Amino acid sequence: MISAVIDRLASVETVSMAKDAGDYVVAERVRKIFNPGGRHEVEAVAPTSFTVKSGEFVSLLGPSGCGKSTLLMMVAGLDRPSEGTVAVAGRPMIAPRAENGIMFQDPTLLPWKSALENVLFPYRAMNKPVAPHIDRAKALLDEVGLAGFHNHKPRQLSGGMRQRVAICRALVFEPDLLLMDEPFSALDAITRDEMNLALMKIWEEHHRTALFVTHSIREAVYLSDRVLVMSQRPGRVIADVKIPFARPRGLEIEESAAFNEICGYLRSKIQHRPV
Amino acid sequence: MTSPSSSLPRPGGGVGVIADGGGAPVALLEAGESRRVAPPPSRITAPPPPGRGREANAIVDRLRAAILPTAFALALLLAWQALVVIFQYPKVVLPAPSDIWHALVANFGTICQQAVPTTRDTLAGFLLATVLGVGIASLLCFSRLLRDMVYPLVILLQLVPKIAWTPLFIVWAGIGSPARLTIATFIAFFPIFISMMAGLEATDSSLVRLSRSLTATTWRTFWLVRLPASMPYLFSGLKIGVTLAVIGVIVAEFISSSEGLGYLILKSSALLQTDLILAAIVALCLLGVGFYGIVHAGERAIQRWQGE
Repeated sequence: MISAVIDRLASVETVSMAKDAGDYVVAERVRKIFNPGGRHEVEAVAPTSFTVKSGEFVSLLGPSGCGKSTLLMMVAGLDRPSEGTVAVAGRPMIAPRAENGIMFQDPTLLPWKSALENVLFPYRAMNKPVAPHIDRAKALLDEVGLAGFHNHKPRQLSGGMRQRVAICRALVFEPDLLLMDEPFSALDAITRDEMNLALMKIWEEHHRTALFVTHSIREAVYLSDRVLVMSQRPGRVIADVKIPFARPRGLEIEESAAFNEICGYLRSKIQHRPV
Repeated sequence: MTSPSSSLPRPGGGVGVIADGGGAPVALLEAGESRRVAPPPSRITAPPPPGRGREANAIVDRLRAAILPTAFALALLLAWQALVVIFQYPKVVLPAPSDIWHALVANFGTICQQAVPTTRDTLAGFLLATVLGVGIASLLCFSRLLRDMVYPLVILLQLVPKIAWTPLFIVWAGIGSPARLTIATFIAFFPIFISMMAGLEATDSSLVRLSRSLTATTWRTFWLVRLPASMPYLFSGLKIGVTLAVIGVIVAEFISSSEGLGYLILKSSALLQTDLILAAIVALCLLGVGFYGIVHAGERAIQRWQGE
């Protein structure tokens, strides 16, 4: 099983052009320093490079505070790298891009709007007509098991239901890249399993390129085609591990020896802070 | 926990509570309910079977909330009346509630007539303060530079007792309605502006980030996220603002005016018509309740509009 594991530490050479025709996200020696020159200067991300192929589900896995969320925010165009570049679909990310669907750690729903209105929010934000997409939004909500909850307000929904509304919102405008920043980390273990199943099912149906940030090894292995392990802060990608399980995946693969072997390997790669 | 029945009402152990307008819990949802749970809407909106007792309780609570203060007020009025009757206070010093009532009835025409300019100036001043407060706060929300320039100054200005400016406004705007309107605007502006500012700045930054990630323009984000999120703040400011606007107008009428309820109070005190002073105060009290009611109705309307 270890043979399926490939460490790839060499950096990519070209910037604006994709290294490989299939590379959708190309991060090129990206570095992030907060408060540069200031007293509280922090290097959050050390110069690091990675790629995500079109249609691939990739996880960024690392200890908390390792800069993985910062890295994702730079891919989302919400944060500018201090050095290096991020390119998505061959274009450098200098501002948020309309074809990115994004999920945060919190559902981030408008509390005064219904579940359906929240799913339709991207159209409102982009100042596009909403009416033609209502049916699709409803179908998505039904798909994640929220039929009958279309008109409920976020406060009337449980944590897991709210995050499902957020999944629908990230998918409704058919983004080609799905960016997820520890979307399930605030949920309890059982809900989290359910959310992983829900995400897997919906991802297999819609099949977008996805970049998923997590600090859960099992979650990363269960969901991903590839797992990128990040080092302690300043974070950089220190291992690139292929996950060989066929899709569709059920939760039962988590019981397999291969699964646990990969988890063990990833765990050995994660550097823990000296106690 | 993963069974489809987990979204049914369950005693205890619920995380989210679905409540209808009346506040009665309709269904309890577990954080860990199954993703396959899709109960028909009827199951969610139907009232719980043992809801009758709850409804009865709600009615009792509402009656209690209405009866208790009313009864207490009546008791106070009765005690007041008894005090005046027993100790034979002169009417000039302390008129009995019955005297005030008589003054109110006898001078009803005058009071109504004097209430008109007071109401007009208060509402006009309040409306102007709302437009200015909301407008300036929104403007500062768009420009960091402008905000850092203007906001500290407004806070500083707000520390000065606003009433102290009244004579100055009369010098500037004359002794007519414009001066009173200016004072009402000035005094009501600060709570409205500051609460609007607080509301805009307290907007959940992750919502703003989400909006930005969806390539929304600053204006779009303002309209869709910041403005609706600031509404509860704004209305608490409006409620203070409308009360202060009345104070501003009355004080201005005290200082220089030949009309309005403030003028009537001052004139009655010169003529030692204490009962008429109190009758005018009763009228002011009713006006105040009316103004507050208008703001409250506005708040409900916004809530309903946001709720659609």
